[in-house]
Amino acid sequence: MNLRSLLGDRRPAWLGPLVAVVVVYAVFAILTPDTFLRTQNLLTMARQTVVVAICALGMTMVIVTGGIDLSTGSLVALTTVVVARLLRSGYGPVVAVLGALAVAALVGASIGALVGRLKMMPFVVTLGAMTILRGAAKGLADEQKIDCDTKGLERLLSADITAPGLWIALTLAIGVAVLLNYTRFGRHVFAVGSNEAAARLCGIDPARVKILVYMLSSLLFGVAGVMELSTLTVGDPTDSIGLELDVIAAVVIGGASLAGGEGSVIGSVLGALLMTVIKTGAVHRGMPSWTQEIATGAIIVLAVAVDRLRHARARR
Amino acid sequence: MKMPAVLRRRALLVGIAALTLAACKDPPKSDPAASGDGGARATGVKRLKIAVIPKGTTHEFWKSVHAGAVKASKELDVDIVWKGPLKEDDLKAQIDVVNTFVAQGVSGIVLAPLNDSALRAPVRSAAQAKIPVVVFDSDLQGDEHVSFVATDNVAAGKLAAEGMATKLGGKGKVIVLRYQEGSASTQNREKGFLDAVKGKPGLELVSDNQYGGATTESAFQKAESLLVAHKAETGAIGGIFTPNESTTFGMLQALKRSGVNKKVKFYGFDSSDKLVAALRDGDIDGLVVQDPFNMGYLAVKTMTEHLRGKPVEKRIDTGARLVDKESLDDPAVKAIMSPDLKPWLGE
Repeated sequence: MNLRSLLGDRRPAWLGPLVAVVVVYAVFAILTPDTFLRTQNLLTMARQTVVVAICALGMTMVIVTGGIDLSTGSLVALTTVVVARLLRSGYGPVVAVLGALAVAALVGASIGALVGRLKMMPFVVTLGAMTILRGAAKGLADEQKIDCDTKGLERLLSADITAPGLWIALTLAIGVAVLLNYTRFGRHVFAVGSNEAAARLCGIDPARVKILVYMLSSLLFGVAGVMELSTLTVGDPTDSIGLELDVIAAVVIGGASLAGGEGSVIGSVLGALLMTVIKTGAVHRGMPSWTQEIATGAIIVLAVAVDRLRHARARR
Repeated sequence: MKMPAVLRRRALLVGIAALTLAACKDPPKSDPAASGDGGARATGVKRLKIAVIPKGTTHEFWKSVHAGAVKASKELDVDIVWKGPLKEDDLKAQIDVVNTFVAQGVSGIVLAPLNDSALRAPVRSAAQAKIPVVVFDSDLQGDEHVSFVATDNVAAGKLAAEGMATKLGGKGKVIVLRYQEGSASTQNREKGFLDAVKGKPGLELVSDNQYGGATTESAFQKAESLLVAHKAETGAIGGIFTPNESTTFGMLQALKRSGVNKKVKFYGFDSSDKLVAALRDGDIDGLVVQDPFNMGYLAVKTMTEHLRGKPVEKRIDTGARLVDKESLDDPAVKAIMSPDLKPWLGE
C-alpha cells in the first residue's frame, strides 16, 4: 500500500508537517547524535505519541465537520477510571476495556445528538461535557487514583516494537484515513464541513453524520484512554487535563482548518509526532520546559501561517 | 510496508521511520554508555550524567532541591539534568520524562515519584536497561530502586507533638486535620504525631479523622467546620496539628477568620513566606520544616556513590527541624528555610 494513494490526488496537506518533523528531528539528531538516534529513543517517542495520535484521529473527523471537542482529556481520564474500577471489581481486561469503550461511545452519541439534532454549538456542548466528565471521573474514583492489577493491559505499550498499542494506533490511523477519503460516509463528512446547506440539498442528513462522527471520535478517545491506563497503570481522574489542546494543536499543525471541510489524518498524526519530537529533544538537550512550550506554540502558529500561504497560492 | 536500505544511513530519514513505526530493526548508533552495564563502569572514562526528576519545577521546595542537587554535582564532578513534568504534578508527563531519560541512556536517574505505584513500571524498565534509580522525597513500592532519600516523616511528626506537649504544659485537647487519603508522606507525619500524643496521658485527642483535601480552599472549609464543631472559640481546644503546607495555611486562615488564633497552640508543617510571617506574629507556634536543599544534595550524592561502586544505605534521612518564633533567626534555621540559592542556580 502506498501512502500517496491513501491520500487521494489533492495536493497533500501533510507535506508541511512531514517536512517539519524531518527538520526538527534532524536538528536534534545533529545536536545530540549519541542518544537521539538510538532505536530505543525512536520507540519511546512512538509510544509517547500514541495517546495524542489516536485522539487526533477522532478530532480530525470532528474538525472536518466544522466542530470541536473540548472534552477529550476528561473522557480519557474517565476511561482510565472506568477500566481501573472494572478491573478492581474482578472483571477481566476484555470486559473492562469493552465496558469503558461503551461508556465513551455513549458519551459521543449524546454529544453528537446535542450538536446534530438540537443544533447546539459544539464548543459549548463539549465545554460542558469537559466539566461533567471530569466530575464523573472524580466521583467514580472517590477523588483518588485507583490502584488495580492491570492484568496484561500494561503490555499494550511495552517497550519494544511488538507493543500492540503501536500497531493498534497505526491500524486505526489507516482505518480512519480510508474512512474519510474513500467511503461515502467520508465524503459526507467533508461535505457537511464545507457547506452544510449544500450538503443537505444533496440529500445528506447532517445531523446523522455528526452523531456518527462524535460517536466514532469519542470511541477513539476511549481507545486512547485505555492506552493511557496502560502507561499509568492506575486509574487517574486528574489525568490528561488540557490534553484536548495538544490534540487540537496536532490536528491544526496537520493542515486542518477549524472552519471545517479540511483536514488530513496523516497530517494530524505527523502533528502529534512533531510535538513529541520537540518534547523529547528538549529533554535530551537539557532545555528548560519553558523553551519547549514556546517552541510548540510557535510551530502551531507557523503551521497555520504556512497553510494560509498555500491556500492563497492555490487560489491564484 | 517495506523500508529501503538507504534509511540506515540517513539520520533524517530515521525520522520518517519513527512515524511509520517500521524501521526499528536498525542497530543503535554508537553510544558507549548504552553498551555494557550502564554507568557503573564508566568511572573516569565517561563523565557521569544523572537525570534529576522532581514532581514539579515551580514551587520553592523544588528550587531548593534543585540547588542542592547542583551543589552535589559540582562537588562530585558529575553532570546533572534537571527535568520535571511540564505541568506541575502531571503523572503521565513524569512517566514520559523517566522513559525519555531511559531511552537516552543516562548514567542514573534520581526521581521524586508522583505516585507510589504508577512510577514502578518506568523504574523497572530503567532497571532492565541497567540504569540505577534513586528515589527521593516520596517513597515508591517495590525494591528496584537503589536507595530512598527523604525526610523521616514519622520522626518529623513526633517533633511537632513534643513541641506542642511542652507548650501546653502536658495537658489539653488536641485536633489533627489530616491532608489526604493515599498520600504516604503526610500519613506518616500524622502517624508520628498521633503515636507521640497517645504516649502522653495529659493530651486528649478529640478529632483525627478529618481530611483537608488537596487544596488550601478545601482545607480551610474543613478547618472552619472543625473549629465550630469542637467549640474552639471557647478555648476548649489546646493544640492543633496539620501535616503539610496546604492544610497548615487553610487552618491558619480558619483560625484567623474565627478569631481563635493565639487561643490555641498551632503546629504546622512546611514553610512559606506567609506561614513564617504567621509564626512571627504568634498565630502559629511551631513549624516542622524539611530540608529540601539537603535532600537534593544527598540524592545526587547517593547516586554518584552508587555509580562509583561504593555501597549506599537503602534509606537515608535528610532531616527535619521544629522551628518556633525564637529559633527563626538562628542562622542554621535560616539556612534550611531560605537557603541562598543564587550560587547554585545563578538567579
